[in-house]
Formats: sequence, structure tokens, C-alpha cells
Amino acid sequence: MASNAAVPFWRAAGMTYITYSNICANLVRNCLKEPHKSEVLSREKVHFAFSVWKEGKPLKPVTRLDSPQE
Amino acid sequence: MVIIPATTGQMGVLPGHVATIAELKPGVLSVHEGNDVKKYFVSSGFAFIHANSYADIIAVEAVPVDQIDSAAVQKGLADFTQKLNTATTDLEKAEAQIGIDVHSALNAAITG
Repeated sequence: MASNAAVPFWRAAGMTYITYSNICANLVRNCLKEPHKSEVLSREKVHFAFSVWKEGKPLKPVTRLDSPQE
Repeated sequence: MVIIPATTGQMGVLPGHVATIAELKPGVLSVHEGNDVKKYFVSSGFAFIHANSYADIIAVEAVPVDQIDSAAVQKGLADFTQKLNTATTDLEKAEAQIGIDVHSALNAAITG
């Protein structure tokens, strides 16, 4: 039984949990004191491929490359 | 005892807690051992509380609260509040809201 209970605002805006979680993590990393901030900035680099499935077949995968803003 | 920042609210976990999976929101995870308290800020994630009184915390980022830079938090909060006002698409609004939520939680962690 699927319920139509309220979904989190980020999912309603079309964002996946992974994206949400990575955005949160990046924001936290940018709010650290030195030297901790420099140590963790390398973790910000993310590379993943995202495929939308239609009628049992994957469409062309979209590759997301998130690198630090600097 | 551990207090975890679940999306449903602050949750206290003692040995013998019923097996639970909780989604975490950005917030402070405090580990109480006797009178000693260690506080960590978790960016988001999950907490798995097992039947044998073990708990696993899964987070992309978890930092001791004293590593948080207050100036960066205030600036971030101001920036994202600004972004929410100028956001047009749903995605921009969601990103701005996430920014506000995380920075508010960071602020509460350093001032709490």
C-alpha cells in the first residue's frame, strides 16, 4: 500500500537522496576551521553516472561530476 | 547513551533500545559516557540501532563540534537566506532551503 504522505521538500523538487546528502556534506565541509577544512576538501570530488529507466531499458546515462567550487 | 538528530526529532538511545532505523537530519549527535559528553555534527545520514544494543551511524560528514567555524556559519546562513529570496525554480528553492537548514543546525550546534 503506497501512501501519499508528504515527501521531503528536496524530493518534491526532483532531487535524489544522494544529491541531498552530498549537498549537506559539502556545506558542512565549507564551515570548518583550518586546518581541518583543507584536509576534507578533497572529499568533495564526486563522480557518478545517473540513468533514467524507461520501459525496462535504461536511457542514455547522465554523468554528474561535482568538483569543489574553488 | 546517545542522542541522535533524527528527522522525527531528537532521539535518545540507551542499551536495550528496540531495533530501529532512523533517517538523520543535519544536527548534533551527542555521545554520553558517564559524565563525559562528546558532540559531533553529522551532515545527514542514517542510524541503525541493532537488537544487540549496537548502533551504527552512517553519515557522509561527521565532525567534532569544536571544528566548526562560527564566521563561516553566519556567512552561509546569510547567503542562503538571500538565495531563497531570489530563487525561481523549485530546484533553486530546494537548494537554498537545504543551505538554510544545514547552517541553522550548524549555528545551533555551536551556540547550544
